[in-house]
Amino acid sequence: MTELLIDPKIRVWVFLPIVVITFLVGIIRHYVSILISSQKKVELTQIQDSQAMIRARLLRENGKYLTAHSFAMRRHYFNNEETGYFKTQTRPPVSPNSTAMLSDLVKGNFINVLPMVIIGGWINWMFSGFVTTKVPFPLTLRFKPMLQRGVELASLDAAWVSSASWYFLNVFGLRSIYTLVLGENNAADQTQAMQDQMSGAAVAMPQDPKAAFKAEWEALEITEYQSALKGVEAEILANINSSEGATIYHQSKTDDAYHRS
Amino acid sequence: MSYNYEELSWSDVKDMLRKWRETTDRKSESIVQLWEAVLEEKMGKLGNERHIILEQVVIAALDCGRMDIADKCMKELIAEFPDSMRVHRLKAMRFEMLESYDKALEILDGIIKKDETNPSARKRKVAILKAKGMNLEAIAEICDYLTKFMSDQEAWHELCNLYLQEADFEKAVFCMEELLLHNPHSYLLHLRIADIRYTMGGTENMETAKSYYLYAIKLNPTNLRALYGLYLCCLHITNSKTVLAKRKEAQTLGQWALTQISEKNSKRKSKTSNKYIAALDSAFANMDIKGK
Repeated sequence: MTELLIDPKIRVWVFLPIVVITFLVGIIRHYVSILISSQKKVELTQIQDSQAMIRARLLRENGKYLTAHSFAMRRHYFNNEETGYFKTQTRPPVSPNSTAMLSDLVKGNFINVLPMVIIGGWINWMFSGFVTTKVPFPLTLRFKPMLQRGVELASLDAAWVSSASWYFLNVFGLRSIYTLVLGENNAADQTQAMQDQMSGAAVAMPQDPKAAFKAEWEALEITEYQSALKGVEAEILANINSSEGATIYHQSKTDDAYHRS
Repeated sequence: MSYNYEELSWSDVKDMLRKWRETTDRKSESIVQLWEAVLEEKMGKLGNERHIILEQVVIAALDCGRMDIADKCMKELIAEFPDSMRVHRLKAMRFEMLESYDKALEILDGIIKKDETNPSARKRKVAILKAKGMNLEAIAEICDYLTKFMSDQEAWHELCNLYLQEADFEKAVFCMEELLLHNPHSYLLHLRIADIRYTMGGTENMETAKSYYLYAIKLNPTNLRALYGLYLCCLHITNSKTVLAKRKEAQTLGQWALTQISEKNSKRKSKTSNKYIAALDSAFANMDIKGK
């Protein structure tokens, strides 16, 4: 099979422009997102709830270091039927359609999805149908739809990369370069945003405090108090006794030696 | 502490300041000195960190009473961030230093009104009350703060100290226990609880103090304070009117604590403390358990 020869002009006018365009779009995306992102406003009750949850969890985990009285006192504070924190605190259910969240969603789409569609479409239209580069190793036929989007040639070797595919490779591959240029946690990196979408928007959404309180209440209710301090005394006493036994034995031995001499 | 300014480049100083920020060292005098000697003329070169360093220097200057430096740096910050909460807090701190507490409180209340979730403004209010010597009001303020920010360790610690100043041991113990929940493997916290319980007195507290001392010893066997504390507790229990078995147990424990202490001291070879231990030992020997 004869080697395919690519016009050097393709390198200058297709291959490199795609790299530069994707890179610059990423940079612009970063600064735009900084411009329009708003600081998330947290409600005081939200902080209070989360801190109460932390405190209750710690009580469950490390309660054994307290005295029985102190443990019971704290559990009473959280779990008492009439006056307990988890019973009396009533929070209005969070409405997922609050305006702040909606505008966040719109902004996120505006920054992430829109440029992706527009630039991708434009690149597809502008640079369509070029074979731009070749990966330096042989690939099986299954890679053809991935690497040769826009160039449907049955006889072309799978190692060749088309311009549209080259654009997508760049979009996902420039991540480490962005961290180099913009620092960690930059907004140019949209693969991260995609992962967030995959894992579900539930992470960002404030959870329903009522359900969380109920779960924590249950967990705390079935926690059994077991003092960690009791064991230590017995342990050290046993240690002392055993070592005393050893020393007595030791003494009698030396006494024997003394008598013999 | 003084540094050889000739040898320090501005980037070294920058790194030093960053380290102190991260470890929350309060080396105010050094910061002010370094600022004057090295950093002030390099301000343009600091880049990203410039504002943080300015804030740090302002606080340090207020600590040292250097109004000139504080004012200069604040002017820069105010010019750039006229509405920032952090700058407002600095303004409040400046009034605090000038002891015009009412004005400071006014600013802090303004911050809290704008941003309910700002913990540092609330903490500054407590600091003002403390500076005025109004401990009870400070306690009330911290308690109010803690109903909202329940897992703020710093605040619990501060509240504990305030209660100790007011000799309200029961509540101080509660605060310490709250800290212990956060950090159960710190022998210092166990030790502090034991100390407070011992100070409170009474049979039950003595027993609790003993267990906490024991746990502190378990976590850090070379802890002399805990060993002495254990010894004192045991002495108290052997002297009390509890069950014989318990008293005997306490006696062996006390004896063990003493031997541990003397072992630790003999390593250091200090004669005076050996003398004290001998005295303690004889006191213990004289006090034979009745009803043997």
